[in-house]
Amino acid sequence: MSIVTVENLVKEFGELVAVDDASFEIEDGEFVSVLGPSGSGKSTILRMIAGFEEPTGGTIVLNGESVVGVPPFHRDVNMVFQNLALFPHLTVADNIAYGLKQSGVPKAERTERIEEMLSVVDLRGYGDRKPEQLSGGEQQRVALARAIVNEPEIVLFDEPLASLDRKLRQHMQVELQRIQAETGITFMYVTHDQEVAVAVSDRMILLNDGRIEQIGTPEELYDDPVSKFVADFIGDVNTFSGTVRNVVDDTATIELLGATVETTIRASQAPMITEGETVAVCIRPSQLSVANGVESGETVEIAGTVENRIYQGDGVTFMIQTDEGRLTVEDEAPYDIGDEVTVTGSWTEAYAFPGGD
Amino acid sequence: MSGAQPTVGRVTELVRATSNYLRDRPRLRLFVLLALPVTFLVAIFVIPLLIMGWYSFLSDMPPASLTLDNYAQALSTDLYLGIIWRTTVITIQTTVIVTILGYSMAYSLVRFSKKATLLLVLVILPFWTNYIIRMYAWMNILQSGGVLDTLLMWTTITSEPLGLLYTQTAVLIGFIYIWLPLATLPFYASLTNMDPNLIDAAKDLGAGPIKTFLTVTLPTTMNGIVVGIILVAIPTFGSFITPALLGGTDNVMIGMTIEDQFVSTFNWPFGAALAVIVSLFVVTAMLIALLLGTDLFKQQGVDQ
Repeated sequence: MSIVTVENLVKEFGELVAVDDASFEIEDGEFVSVLGPSGSGKSTILRMIAGFEEPTGGTIVLNGESVVGVPPFHRDVNMVFQNLALFPHLTVADNIAYGLKQSGVPKAERTERIEEMLSVVDLRGYGDRKPEQLSGGEQQRVALARAIVNEPEIVLFDEPLASLDRKLRQHMQVELQRIQAETGITFMYVTHDQEVAVAVSDRMILLNDGRIEQIGTPEELYDDPVSKFVADFIGDVNTFSGTVRNVVDDTATIELLGATVETTIRASQAPMITEGETVAVCIRPSQLSVANGVESGETVEIAGTVENRIYQGDGVTFMIQTDEGRLTVEDEAPYDIGDEVTVTGSWTEAYAFPGGD
Repeated sequence: MSGAQPTVGRVTELVRATSNYLRDRPRLRLFVLLALPVTFLVAIFVIPLLIMGWYSFLSDMPPASLTLDNYAQALSTDLYLGIIWRTTVITIQTTVIVTILGYSMAYSLVRFSKKATLLLVLVILPFWTNYIIRMYAWMNILQSGGVLDTLLMWTTITSEPLGLLYTQTAVLIGFIYIWLPLATLPFYASLTNMDPNLIDAAKDLGAGPIKTFLTVTLPTTMNGIVVGIILVAIPTFGSFITPALLGGTDNVMIGMTIEDQFVSTFNWPFGAALAVIVSLFVVTAMLIALLLGTDLFKQQGVDQ
């Protein structure tokens, strides 16, 4: 059953269109992340669902009822704020109790639920402390507890992990998933960090410039991006301009850098990829490889110079300066900065999008 | 080997040696830092206070014998107790009204205004005119048949002149006018410091606007409110110019009485005793109010 249904949602701030005709559904118990660069409208969507902004157009249906025009304090939605917004004058227990008091939960039950919640977020015995006495990670958990203790239809997250260091962030991601599984509450998580989104979500909604680019599981977005933007945002790609020579079944022959390559066309792209069309060919860094400056017999060979090598633990990322611009290549080859190399690729794995570079 | 260069070198060396010497001696460093301001404070604040305390136990201008008569007289005379009572009432009235008005003003500046800085400058603007001149302006406005009366009668709100000058209302208006800008500043500062997300968080958790204000905004800006109240209440209690100019002889406040003892009656020991009583009274009242105030809000946090 869908908990949130958003249809044709529009939000304008004066001339600026922050959210442009967004429609999506969130199922009960899902962990959905809303991903996009800064200014893509993801926080605005979240704030409209929470009730802090009213949409210019479209509808938001929460558990079967339209909430347009309903103030935030009458919506069965709770939010974890970017800066957490814990009440500094209240103890941890009173912070968590705040929502329960507003809905008139009796004191005995309140105490019980706070204790239970403190143990869910692994903060037993912290009830009497003030937020300022807690570490960043502990404060995150209090903010989370304060939201989920009310057992709302959905908990909204406005990038609350952005301020944590990498190690703690990864730990909190795992915690979030555990807590979501334990409570069964629907989570909607806004972030600009694709790494976090890919790691935690069941489904992702990718926004660009106020519009939804693609909705799908992390695998779908990574393996079958519908646009160059998606391919570039979820993982890196190197982009080249090519011309389609012919299409046979799901294989296109594309003229690229003076040679031809064969690329498998994704179902989502098939209608747009036709003979004579100019296309953008995107290839992941892992599909490219570096060889010595000798001919390897591949159809497309790009000569270049190693500009930088970044050790990644299980491999090396090369930045290679070529006539086609700077390419990113993941390989294990033993090259060093300044080496003259040739870049080749397994092009069947590349993506082709209409519209050129 | 003569000239400026070696001298500069020697001074630099001396400075370095001194700072090296002080670096490992935190107590000495603290002493060096604090010596001057502490001496200054003691000379112009503590010593005069002690002298006044000493005077309050004298039977006459010095040289004279020590006595408790001044205190006995002050605390047993209905006149003085009455004046202290009236002063207390008008101070509380002033403080309450200024706090409500000032807080509302600061709140609307912070929450609803895009030109808060400009408006804040306008709030402070009256300070650029001399206090006495502004009081004379108020005398002009409030006197029988003055600006206010003329305006009220012209708009037929009243049919007869109110003649507010030399009433307690006039004193109250004067105080509110003088202290409102001063109290608005700490209110403004504490409201600006408050994270606006806290208000969203309260609403998100189900609190309506009034509940949000009482359980979040008010307690988190309590420091500013306390500072504002102290800034208004203490000078109001000791004030003697405003009540003299706007209140006349029927609205004597304790500050006027003390001034009188020093300037006209020349009974310095009695004036000193009154001043000591007033100081103790104000300090005690403030401490009690602070304790009650913070307690009240702690309570509200836990169990509203």
